[in-house]
Amino acid sequence: MDAQALIKENNEKRKLLSKENLEWYEDMLVYIRLSFDKSEQETEEVLSEILDHLLEAQEDGKTIEEVFGDDPKAYADEITGELPKMITKKRFLFISMAILYFLASVALFSVIFKAISYYAFDLGELTETYYLGTQALKLGLSIPIAYIFMILIIHYLRWSTFRKINKVKEFFIFWLFGIFSVGIFVLVYYFIPDFGPTIELPIYLFIGVAVILYIFATIIKRKM
Amino acid sequence: MSLRSQLLKGVLEGCILSIVEKKSVYGYELSMILQQYGLDVSEGSIYPILLRLQKEKLIHGQMKKSPAGPNRKYYHLTDDGKKALIDFRTHWNDLKQPVDLILEKED
Repeated sequence: MDAQALIKENNEKRKLLSKENLEWYEDMLVYIRLSFDKSEQETEEVLSEILDHLLEAQEDGKTIEEVFGDDPKAYADEITGELPKMITKKRFLFISMAILYFLASVALFSVIFKAISYYAFDLGELTETYYLGTQALKLGLSIPIAYIFMILIIHYLRWSTFRKINKVKEFFIFWLFGIFSVGIFVLVYYFIPDFGPTIELPIYLFIGVAVILYIFATIIKRKM
Repeated sequence: MSLRSQLLKGVLEGCILSIVEKKSVYGYELSMILQQYGLDVSEGSIYPILLRLQKEKLIHGQMKKSPAGPNRKYYHLTDDGKKALIDFRTHWNDLKQPVDLILEKED
């Protein structure tokens, strides 16, 4: 059974857990899956074993604490500590896929943004002049910045998994983080000067670019 | 780490190798066997150990349909595992008697 089949089976089987057990298990699942540099196959196999074990224990009337101890985070850390790392080839595919998806969404959002400002606010034009040097530098900088933001979010999610955090507080944390990250991108884009050869492109071309990047990313995803 | 869990760490690995040598077992079954022998460990603690033993290629796990229906991961001993088990038996026998003797003398 491959990882995708295991995930599907897991989604179904999880419904059989009692409310309290489900809460415990879903925290475990999120925390362990967020350790994303581990072999997906092994990750899903051990998650399915833990689920099976929990289901049998539930039928025998045992509590979670009896079976898995009273420190879920320590237990999850023990599991992730023993999970084998993703192999290098997979890691390379994974990173390429993430970058392609990211670039596809950058292309799509820039079209949406420019179309709105043109049609709704009469700003800019449908054919833009692009400075190749500037564009290359922007892309080159935005990939590592996006990567750092993603790592920060994953760390936050892992940190918050086994804690009960106030929903309002959490909303504000994400809101602030959202503004902060958009601000960083705007700053970077604003301060890069125009340089390099220019090229005139209709902005709708980027819809095609986004679709092509998305297709490539999806092909890589299937290969993994 | 408590004294007990430090003591258990290596011993539990050896016990799991020995159980898996006799027959292929899945996780829940393994934890039940350990308990039947009176080894009172938290059931969940076998999974990190099973992962470690797989990483060291001492056991091999395979998802298989069980007689009861659902897919289960059954573990069996590899050739390296057999060697490791022989080693464990020797070390354990070397330790068992002297330790028992020392502890008895202290009484």
